[in-house]
Amino acid sequence: MAVVIKGARRVDRPHRRHILRGLLAGGAAVTVGLPGLDLFLSDNGDARADGGAIPPRFGLFFWGNGVHPDAWVPAGTGPDWTPSPQLEPIAHLRELFTIVSGCDVKVPNLYPHGSGEKGILSGAPVKVVGEVETFAAPTIDQIIAAEIGGETRFGSIEFGAEGGALSHTGPNSPNPTENSPHALFERIFGGGFRAPGENTDPDPRIALRRSVLDAVLADADAISRRLGARDRQRLEAHFEGIRTIERRLARLEADPPQRLACMRPEGPSGAFDPVEGRAQVSRKNRVMCDIIAMALACDQTRVFSNFITQPVNNILFEGATAGHHQLTHDEPGEQPQVHTIVRHLVGEFGYLLEALNGIPEGDGTVLDNCAILGTTEISYGRTHSLDEFPILVAGRAGGTLRTGLHYRSPGRENASKVHVTLMRALGITTAGFGADEGFADESIGALEA
Amino acid sequence: MLRPTFLALTGLMAVGGLACDDDPPPEASLAEVPHTPAAASSRRLTGEQYAAVARDLFGPDIVLPGRLEPDSRAGGSLAIGATVTAVSERGVELYVDAAYSLAAQALAPERRAQLVDCDPAAEACVRRTLGALGERAWRRPLTDDELGRLAAVVDRARDALGDPWAGLEYGVAAILLSPRFVYRFEVPAEGDTLGPYAIASRLAFFLWNQAPDAALLAAAADGRLDTPAGRRAEAERMAADPRVRAGVRAFFGDLFALDRLDALNKAPELFPHFDDSVAAAAREETLAVIERLVVDERGDYRDIMTTRRTVVDRKLASIYNVRAPARDGFGEVELPADGLRRGLLGHVSVLALHSHPVSTSATLRGMFVRETLLCQTIPDPPSGVDTSIPEPSGTAPTLRDRIDEHLESPACRGCHLVTDPIGLGLEHFDGLGRFRTTDGGAAIDASGDLDGAPFDDPLTLADAIREHPDFVPCLVERLYRHALGREPAAGDEALLDALTARFVGRRHDVLGLMLDIAESPAFARGALDDTEEADATPEVP
Repeated sequence: MAVVIKGARRVDRPHRRHILRGLLAGGAAVTVGLPGLDLFLSDNGDARADGGAIPPRFGLFFWGNGVHPDAWVPAGTGPDWTPSPQLEPIAHLRELFTIVSGCDVKVPNLYPHGSGEKGILSGAPVKVVGEVETFAAPTIDQIIAAEIGGETRFGSIEFGAEGGALSHTGPNSPNPTENSPHALFERIFGGGFRAPGENTDPDPRIALRRSVLDAVLADADAISRRLGARDRQRLEAHFEGIRTIERRLARLEADPPQRLACMRPEGPSGAFDPVEGRAQVSRKNRVMCDIIAMALACDQTRVFSNFITQPVNNILFEGATAGHHQLTHDEPGEQPQVHTIVRHLVGEFGYLLEALNGIPEGDGTVLDNCAILGTTEISYGRTHSLDEFPILVAGRAGGTLRTGLHYRSPGRENASKVHVTLMRALGITTAGFGADEGFADESIGALEA
Repeated sequence: MLRPTFLALTGLMAVGGLACDDDPPPEASLAEVPHTPAAASSRRLTGEQYAAVARDLFGPDIVLPGRLEPDSRAGGSLAIGATVTAVSERGVELYVDAAYSLAAQALAPERRAQLVDCDPAAEACVRRTLGALGERAWRRPLTDDELGRLAAVVDRARDALGDPWAGLEYGVAAILLSPRFVYRFEVPAEGDTLGPYAIASRLAFFLWNQAPDAALLAAAADGRLDTPAGRRAEAERMAADPRVRAGVRAFFGDLFALDRLDALNKAPELFPHFDDSVAAAAREETLAVIERLVVDERGDYRDIMTTRRTVVDRKLASIYNVRAPARDGFGEVELPADGLRRGLLGHVSVLALHSHPVSTSATLRGMFVRETLLCQTIPDPPSGVDTSIPEPSGTAPTLRDRIDEHLESPACRGCHLVTDPIGLGLEHFDGLGRFRTTDGGAAIDASGDLDGAPFDDPLTLADAIREHPDFVPCLVERLYRHALGREPAAGDEALLDALTARFVGRRHDVLGLMLDIAESPAFARGALDDTEEADATPEVP
């Protein structure tokens, strides 16, 4: 496939020349510059060398402990909104995202933080079996991964500086969050990765590894036969994991996807341990955002979740005098410390957008071909409320979503309508999202291009 | 405000009242106690168990996988989490990586002789090696079919790579990445009776947190585990083995959630004493104290609340302001007889875990006592309530003063009156567990009342918990849950009563209770789980 040098990029948004910068504090964590990416743009503006269509991707950015609704909702609606104090850190990126305000998470708010995280991520109330509280339904990332994640090496990737296992494939089926930038990099760009043009002779060990998995799968029926219903399902999940690895090995034997902006980056360097008792949330997040941006550019996955912090986390943020969760409850007055933390986390969301927007793809950027949902598990931390829920939507999903807006719900709509909107924007045919009070089958038209 | 479990267990102690210190009454055989088994489950090996088995199979110096699917807590318990949680795709990936890493190490030239005592170029050698390893890893003999499948993998790999050792590596990996290694299938073989090898696994992981040894597998093969007496005999052998220490540690580590110390977060400017090594030492302190009490002395479990003996290193000794027992490592010390620190509630592990990063928390500490030590359930706070407590002020300098103001709200009082007075009894220990006499410049008042038993400091609070009617039955219930990997159900009640009576009669000897649980009918039984599949996992729309 010929790659024609273009004189000028058609992309009018600012790009970062240095895609993987992962810098700020400490610098040079990921060190790859990508000079002259426009060299790789093909003549017709299609970033795929094999001429295929650019796939839509989904991303989740999730932080814990909510916001201050009064300092969150911007003034003005439509394209003419004035940044609120807590959105001010990403005001300069305003064309890249839309704010959805005035929606409620409608599931019964029975478990502080628990109802909210289940409600916003799965649309369903908490499921309780005995003393165990879990998700009743898969989380939005997994629903979408089941639809659009099948063709890539990884169906979905869950990571985040300090987040825990919130992504769920079903009840009691958590997907752990990778907290280590090194491990995230190794998983995606380590041994199993081949960059475009890196042709190696087929490794006989790949076929042998497949034969081992075949032998294990041949035992599946014998194992499952003796089990009760729930165990059968747990084991089926395990076998499905094995089949996924088989498919991945098969893909390794075949050619990797040919993506023009894809390059094998260098791994992160240095340690990311807490410094003097304080987690390096920003530094970890930025390196991981750079890695995932390149993972999308290389089509290693089409669905990711960035759980930067966890509901109820008590992280000691820089300059804070107490843990985040404790501050949301006990800090008096306007809660200036909580406010600073929220702004910090919103800024990290901005970094993710910039990382994705820094890689050209087709006529635009990787971000343009994504639908990103940015949210948390409660609106006002002090009272665990689920009304006036903070929701950000970024990326244009290949042109089906509108950005740059403040959409103010006229009548306290169900937040699940946002998920329906995103799924449809990604080309997924869905009857709706959520369950019971959280169920919605309508999208929000104002967000659709 | 509390759920019915709150006081329901007090009735159990009537049974305990029968016990006499010197001469236990004749006991009914546990086999005669009516018992209906609840559904059994398969249990994924915890990270600790996976590591222990890998060391057992390949040697103590094997390099363990750096990461595996994390253990998950369900209902506050890792043992329950291991029976209800499904493994993620990423988790399977990690098991596969771990299997190849272990297989490569096991067959490296310097180590292979431990595993292989013949020439792997010979078919018979391959089968013998895989059969022996497979029996230990899968905790039962392999069938001919299974061996054949593994041998075929080895053949193919040997032919492709031209090296019989490399070929064998794929067979070893196939054993290790099979669900038969990763899960314990404690499911009924027939009716509601577990098969002998499932019982053997249950015994070994319960008592040793480890796979069965050859003697236990032999007992399973002989049918000796099918009878209560046979199980008791094996359990007694195992309880006399040093490996029982790991089993006791696993249970109490899970019960007190000591793994959470790994992620403990303390403000460095307030707690310059604290770092990761202190968290690790605090965990070791609690486990070592329990190990001495339960294994070495077979002492009275209730003494965990009141003993002044503890096991510390230099850093903990400094926090406790006692003389360090040794320059390096841990040693036993006696806390000062006139001090307010003694027992479990004086441990840094408990005090620091149930605090905030910068301060204590009367609520979190009270919850620990109520939920973990007394098996009572505290509801979550209602939503839509302002949960903040007032800042310290001139009129309200101490946490008690601030909580008193907070509790003027009727929405909060119901539950916080159940938890906070207990936690306020521990206010002499700061957010790390250091002793103090004042809070916000004012003297600490640690008095209160635990379900009718008044206390005025941490010492008398510990007495009140030790004598609380729910304290002993709660331990029995938790240990039973740990053994079976499920919550006790209605069909277990009579057996729990009987086990509690025996436990009381034997002066609260935890190891004896473990033997009784192993002997009890519940240990060898489990119903087939017939949960509707539709209920278990909804379809992805």
